[in-house]
Amino acid sequence: MGDGKLEKQLAMQMRGITKRFGPILANDHVDLDVYRGEILAVLGENGCGKTTLMNMIAGIYFPDEGHILIDGKEVVIRSPKDAFEHKIGMIHQHFKLVDLFTAAENIVLGIEEKGEYNLKKVNARVAEISQKYGFHLDPTKKIYDMSVSEKQTVEILKVLYRGADILILDEPTAVLTPQEITRLFSVLRRMRDDGKSILIITHKLNEVLEVSDRVAILRKGEHVATVNTAETSEAELTELMVGKKIDLNISRSDPVNPQPRLIVRDLNLVSPEGLQVLRDISFTANGGEILGIAGIAGSGQRELLDTIAGLQKPASGEIVFHNPKKDKPVTFFHKSLKRVRELGKAHAFHDRKGNEVSFEGMKRRQIRKWVESGDVLFKEDEVMDLRNKNPLEIRQLGIHLSFVPEDRLGMGLVASMNITDNMMLRSYRKGSAGMLNRKHPREQAEEIVRDLEISTPSLTTPVRKLSGGNVQKVLVGREIAFTPKVLMAAYPVRGLDINSSYAIYNLLNHQKEQGVAVIFVGEDLDVLLALCDRILVMNGGKVTGIVDARMATKEEIGLLMTKSERREERAANE
Amino acid sequence: MLPVNKKDGSGLQKAFIHKEMMGDNNMKKIVALVMVLVLCLMAAAVMADGIAKEDIKLGVILLHDENSTYDLNFMNGAREAAAAMGLEEDQLQFYRNQPESSACAETALDAVDEGCNIIFFDSYGHQFYTDDVVAENPGVQFVHATGDLAHLKEYPNLANAFATIYEGRYLAGVAAGLKLNELKEAGKLKGDVPLMGYVGAYTYAEVVSGYTSFYLGAKSVCPDVQMKVQFTGSWYDEKEEKAAAEALIALGCDLISQHADSMGAPTACENAGVPNVCYNISTKEACPNTYLVYSRINWKPYFEYLIGQVIAGEPVDKDWVGNMANEAVMVADLNDAVAAKGTQEVLDQVKAELEAGTRHVFDTATEGFITVAGAPVAEDWAPTDDAYNPEKDKVVYDGYFHESEFRSAPYFSLEIDGIERLNTKF
Amino acid sequence: MSDKRPGEREPLFHLSRRHAIPWWQAWGIRVLAIFLGMLVCGVVAFLLIEKLQQRPERIGDFYYAFIKGAFGTQRKFWKFLKNIAILLCIALALTPAFRMHFWNTGGEGQTLVGVLACIAVDFYLGGTIPEPLLLVLMLAASLLAGALWGLLPAICRAQWGTNETLFTLMMNYVATYLVAFFLEVWVKSGSGVLPQMKTGKLPTLGSNSYLLIILIVLALTVCLYIYLNYTKHGYEISVVGESVKTARYVGMNDKKVIIRTMLLSGALCGLAGYLIGAGLDLSVSTQSVGGQGFTAIMVSWLANFNPLMMILTSGLIQLLNQGAAQISQDFDVSGALPNVIVGIILFFIIGSEFFVNYRIQFIRKEKEAVK
Repeated sequence: MGDGKLEKQLAMQMRGITKRFGPILANDHVDLDVYRGEILAVLGENGCGKTTLMNMIAGIYFPDEGHILIDGKEVVIRSPKDAFEHKIGMIHQHFKLVDLFTAAENIVLGIEEKGEYNLKKVNARVAEISQKYGFHLDPTKKIYDMSVSEKQTVEILKVLYRGADILILDEPTAVLTPQEITRLFSVLRRMRDDGKSILIITHKLNEVLEVSDRVAILRKGEHVATVNTAETSEAELTELMVGKKIDLNISRSDPVNPQPRLIVRDLNLVSPEGLQVLRDISFTANGGEILGIAGIAGSGQRELLDTIAGLQKPASGEIVFHNPKKDKPVTFFHKSLKRVRELGKAHAFHDRKGNEVSFEGMKRRQIRKWVESGDVLFKEDEVMDLRNKNPLEIRQLGIHLSFVPEDRLGMGLVASMNITDNMMLRSYRKGSAGMLNRKHPREQAEEIVRDLEISTPSLTTPVRKLSGGNVQKVLVGREIAFTPKVLMAAYPVRGLDINSSYAIYNLLNHQKEQGVAVIFVGEDLDVLLALCDRILVMNGGKVTGIVDARMATKEEIGLLMTKSERREERAANE
Repeated sequence: MLPVNKKDGSGLQKAFIHKEMMGDNNMKKIVALVMVLVLCLMAAAVMADGIAKEDIKLGVILLHDENSTYDLNFMNGAREAAAAMGLEEDQLQFYRNQPESSACAETALDAVDEGCNIIFFDSYGHQFYTDDVVAENPGVQFVHATGDLAHLKEYPNLANAFATIYEGRYLAGVAAGLKLNELKEAGKLKGDVPLMGYVGAYTYAEVVSGYTSFYLGAKSVCPDVQMKVQFTGSWYDEKEEKAAAEALIALGCDLISQHADSMGAPTACENAGVPNVCYNISTKEACPNTYLVYSRINWKPYFEYLIGQVIAGEPVDKDWVGNMANEAVMVADLNDAVAAKGTQEVLDQVKAELEAGTRHVFDTATEGFITVAGAPVAEDWAPTDDAYNPEKDKVVYDGYFHESEFRSAPYFSLEIDGIERLNTKF
Repeated sequence: MSDKRPGEREPLFHLSRRHAIPWWQAWGIRVLAIFLGMLVCGVVAFLLIEKLQQRPERIGDFYYAFIKGAFGTQRKFWKFLKNIAILLCIALALTPAFRMHFWNTGGEGQTLVGVLACIAVDFYLGGTIPEPLLLVLMLAASLLAGALWGLLPAICRAQWGTNETLFTLMMNYVATYLVAFFLEVWVKSGSGVLPQMKTGKLPTLGSNSYLLIILIVLALTVCLYIYLNYTKHGYEISVVGESVKTARYVGMNDKKVIIRTMLLSGALCGLAGYLIGAGLDLSVSTQSVGGQGFTAIMVSWLANFNPLMMILTSGLIQLLNQGAAQISQDFDVSGALPNVIVGIILFFIIGSEFFVNYRIQFIRKEKEAVK
């Protein structure tokens, strides 16, 4: 750090900061210097301790060991209030705003100022700060009327209003569109030029390179290096972060003979509160293809997947599962004997000579033998309407629809159960008796632990004790073990480290190559563009476009993500 | 660990007794009777020898503990008796909080194990669970206070005890009647006729007998008195009792009494300035302006009698009834500030008459004193409960209703004229 | 450190969650907690018990009372086992609901209607039909009544999302007043006390009349352990309890599971009621269950909803209860004081779980040690 930065003034120094959570060492004797008038990116994988470190500056946690010096003097920061007194402010990932209040009211909330409370003055001052740094914000707007980006602006203003000189932003770009990110970065640069110190926590390399002056890299709680942004590269940063060289390319194969697998037509969904959350959604997911879904958080992605999976009942529309089975043999792979018999009664099969097969008067053993011989063929492609079917009914139809939900531990898995019992979630009904059979799930669990390199103390460890990446591997592993025809995954790499993320991408790619129709809801546009074959963009519960991922640009998708009807109308009028 | 049946054969006898009660086989019945006789003789033999005073151990099984005025009254009686007779501290054991369920029988057995040779139960409901214990332990004297089944059972070591508290209430009623007369003369009655209010717990004989005797006491000196009764459905519910008393006062009652254990009714009276006649406890200090007099059962004489009989090896009376003569029934602590002039003198006189037998509480001879729906009490009237044996026991003769005579527990349950029940749900 | 402004003080200690703790250390903490609890009890007892102040050497008797209360005589030991069995039975009944995160606070009422139902059958049919048939009908009535009492809150929770804690609690009162009502109808004298039935008594197995009850509950413990851990139903209960979202995600019918589990929970409470009614009291009163329906909640919680562990926790609670009664008797003190002592010990036991899960670190000391 010797070169050229020395003339800059030190704003804050951390010396030997250590924090433990039980046996986990979250921060191990971290030394870090922050200068006035710089943007310092704190880079590291999830779980490397960067948020913990920042929380200690902001007064959320108290360090077990070490000191913090502001302007060369040692300080003790026991609470966020202490932090504010030292002109430190943090903008958290989850906003802490009162929905019913205006921006200005939120900004002054909690400030104990002498003298009378004068909202006009506050508004004027907020406007002044906005002007200075180039924010666009109406101080009298209520929070519930605001977009995510506007709420973030309020959070930043809140900190500035209190006179913070050191600003910490925790993953500020995670919820923004590309355009909003550009705007945020320009604001951050202005603040830097005004002499403020900006610490920005992130794990996105391109953003680091774009906005920061220096990069501090944390790995497993240790501060491994600080480099000048101008002198580094994506590859070097990755290596520092992960500790080894990593290939950042996602290998994308061309789809082989994509066939319509899941057809959604004019789907509408109304929430229990009466809001229309999905509006006339239509698309087709092909087998052997990854269909990406992009959009600002809360644009209806989750509801769309929930509805397909049978967790919500649509108001109208069709969800059709298409199985190209014409003249192909029926198997017990996806269908139970009972279901095969039902289909036989419904005249669905013929034999190799073209005679109808109805299984009339046949015993179970005979039917089983016949089907296993491969001589029982479907007459037509199978077309099944999934609308108004719950997950169990969908399963009973023999449709293997796998779903990796966004809420892993609250929906996809049972946090307090071990891997084996979580494997059973999909299959526990097997067997006619009332007793559980854990033998097969245990084997399956052993298999995925081995194949997906899940690190766990044992198969009996509750999944909540596993790291985020391993939790996700258990969930994806289970859904894949279920030999899906359609695999839906909502934000499957959120919170995962780079290695785990790439492991998941590879799994999805592998499924695609197996002919599975993969639907991937993502937030990182770079990943969506690199992984998917087509990208469906959603905004406000509507499909605003479906683009070819090999041709589209980030900006193009960003525009679709924020495209509003009003703007469309205006465009049409002009 | 297997249980040791300490008294061989007693299980067999018990079985026979049960069979006998079901009455399904004559032969067995005879055998059973013989066995019971043997048992009685054995018991009598044990009893006849008597027990040395220093070997006496009295176990008192209490429904609650000292926080209940009901149980405290028993505890005080037992303690005073033990002290008066010079028993050591560990010769008296209290078993607190024993519910009216099989648990109280278990505790009685524990008491037997711990060497108790007199076991005293203080609550009515205990008696339904102790047959086996009584049968299996003929050497131990059992007593159910307020119980009503001992005289029906063949166990020589089982007794009941109660007191003529109706006489106490009658006396208290006299004091109340005199007070009403005073109010009447001063023109301070709320209505045309003197009206009393009564807060009762339940609608069964113990309570009915209590409020009727109180009413009759008042009527004996104040002939035109009327009474209203409000039931609460609980022996101890301060809020309900207070509300009931307030309701009665609002209905124009000139005086209130109660048969329930809390301070609810006295407090309501003190607040409203209405005279109050208490039970079990004196509230003279808490309610100096309205407290009139109180009556209670004093258990000390009984405990002294009981222990004395066991020491002497004499049988204990199956239905011991305490009265004013042996100080088991007390009317005391008259509040001169509230009572009418000359009350004490009248009370002394009435008490003497009751003791001498020249006056009876449930007087059916005096025309118009006790009427049911306008008619005098029939000679063949009989209690309806299971414990009553109509062939053996007559209750209305010699010009009065014989309360607490064929058994110690009260059984007067007539609804007489002059008393109005405001509710009957309990 | 001279730069620090006045008032800027570092916190003295902070708490951190333990990740894992060896079993011996966890049990060490618990045993230590009981030991400390006992010590505090001794002090409290000395302050409040007059007889102990007069003769301090009896402090040994004070502690011995806990042993004496449960093991003093063979009879007490059998009573101890029987008391454990009844409390355990109710706790077992509540456990499937608790595992489902359905906070059934209605064990008292569900058990009480169980007692009422079997006594009602006995009251009306006793002596008119063969004894074995009577016992079977009584059992059926108890199970049905308990199940009904569990079913009503379950339906309302499943259909309309009502709060089950309040609902089951209210059902306790309904049960109590129902018993009071029937006592009025049955007991002509108005005393409100129903004499013991002469019929419908559970047979005595072997030499002790409690043995059958104890064996029934022991068998139930094992069955319930298997049901909860090794059957599909038990698995569904765990999933629904942990997350209704997960249950729906895999296509479980959470409403069905809630209703089915509460039927079971209620019916098992009914069984406990049957054991009380036909096995012990042969009568019913509003106090037949005597608050055990609430104590059972604690038994289940302390055992972390593990049926086998509940043998230990119900044993502990009954040991304390019988010890408390013994203290009350031996030292001639009111029933309230021993309950204070039981409360203190339970406080320490429950509090010890905090120290099993968290560690206290004293910062200053550590920092100085580092320097």
